[in-house]
Amino acid sequence: MASFGSKVFLLLGRTNVSGVGYRKTGNRATYATALTVNSSSTNKARGGKGSTGRRPKRGTGEPRTEKMALDQDWTSVYPAATPFRANAVPLPLRMGYPVKRGIPPEKKGNLELIKIPNFLHLTPAAIRKHCEALKPFCTEWPSALDTDAKCDELFPVKIQSTDYVSAGPSIRNPSARVVHMKVKLSSLNLDDHARKKMLKLVGDRYCKDSDILTIKTESCPLRQQNYDYAMYLLTVLYHESWKIEPWEAEKTRADMEEYSWEDSTSQKNILDTLLRINATGEGEEAEVREQLLGREEVLEYKDSVETLKNEEPSESNMLRYKEAVRKVLKVWQ
Amino acid sequence: MAASLSFTGSARLLTALARSSALYNSFESRSFHATAVCCKNRAARIRIGKGDKPLTYEQALHPHQIAHRKGWLSQHASNLKGEQGAAERTVEDVFIRRFMFGTFHGCLANEVVIKRRGNVLVVCALMLQKMPPQKFYFFIGYSESLLSHFYKCPVKLEIQTLQEKAVYKYV
Repeated sequence: MASFGSKVFLLLGRTNVSGVGYRKTGNRATYATALTVNSSSTNKARGGKGSTGRRPKRGTGEPRTEKMALDQDWTSVYPAATPFRANAVPLPLRMGYPVKRGIPPEKKGNLELIKIPNFLHLTPAAIRKHCEALKPFCTEWPSALDTDAKCDELFPVKIQSTDYVSAGPSIRNPSARVVHMKVKLSSLNLDDHARKKMLKLVGDRYCKDSDILTIKTESCPLRQQNYDYAMYLLTVLYHESWKIEPWEAEKTRADMEEYSWEDSTSQKNILDTLLRINATGEGEEAEVREQLLGREEVLEYKDSVETLKNEEPSESNMLRYKEAVRKVLKVWQ
Repeated sequence: MAASLSFTGSARLLTALARSSALYNSFESRSFHATAVCCKNRAARIRIGKGDKPLTYEQALHPHQIAHRKGWLSQHASNLKGEQGAAERTVEDVFIRRFMFGTFHGCLANEVVIKRRGNVLVVCALMLQKMPPQKFYFFIGYSESLLSHFYKCPVKLEIQTLQEKAVYKYV
């Protein structure tokens, strides 16, 4: 019961507001006077009343565009970014959707021209002036760093961070704290074991094609802190990869990064097959195996298997393997 | 289910109330609050009339023409993807429009355009020449200093005056 009663009241209230308030909201939403202004009539009336003490109202002069010389200095008319001023731009601009069988509205009182950003302050002459003014503050690029290779060699660690600009009273942007640190592993002093360990420690952050290790730090709230953390990580990675822990001796065949043919099942299989083919039984087995390993076909077979396993399988790799197998097993077409 | 019950119930009650003109008693009730209705097909649209009402370009083109035949009255970087502070800028805009409407009462020829360039707030307005220039200068200075103190950022007013409003069409 109570809810019905209150709902009725609400409905009544709502209709009231919608009936009267529409006009009000219409006026307020536009924030522009709805009255037609007849400025001449009001002026005359005022002038008649207060003519004793009041000076006659000065009419509006002609727009500044009439007085502009053709060879004037435009950079002094629009020295900085300012909205469009119809009286200061001597161009016959029109902007807007035309009325039916009409033309676009003229520039006088045209709000559309004011809304858009204009580049009247960026004429080539203005930009030349800016550059001339900035030249005393610029220094030359050091002549010793003329190639990319030299830059990489002398400055191997590259830091990248982004600054953000936005329109508003605050200059803070939380995404500005991200720091990317890129370094080429070839510029670090790593031996074979250290390099393999570093790659295992780093995982996804290493790009094989370009040999660049990228460390992205964004866990600290400030950019300075993230930079320090990135440098610390690089130092720790370097020193840790040089250390040899006792448990690293338990590295199995499954942990290896690359496939090596020595002591693999492939080697065992091929030697067994060859021994069975040439089942002459002369000499000891070990000697025969050594002899077989030295043979050219077996070495070629070893190369082809290693390339197949280590690199991506391709047409040429498979063909090479096929040829090697044929030669080893002496199966000719 | 509760809603449908209340609807039928309220219809009956309405008729009963209308007939008996019973007074409304305030009960202890929990109801939902609704604002005044603001239909989206009536907002910012001035309907066609006799043909004697002058309209500016801004008033004549309806809101669905924004980005087609109309530009934006207020532009700032907070409406881009991943940027913060859109709500604060919108509230600032609303206040600035009301402030301008009240300070330059009766002088605004068209809507206020607000631009933000880094830290600076640029308020562009077209005015009618209803006041002597000295009064205009005073109001401009007053608005600039007040708004700068209020928003803690430099506020610039770009006022252009016209003799009369630029009429686009009569409706």
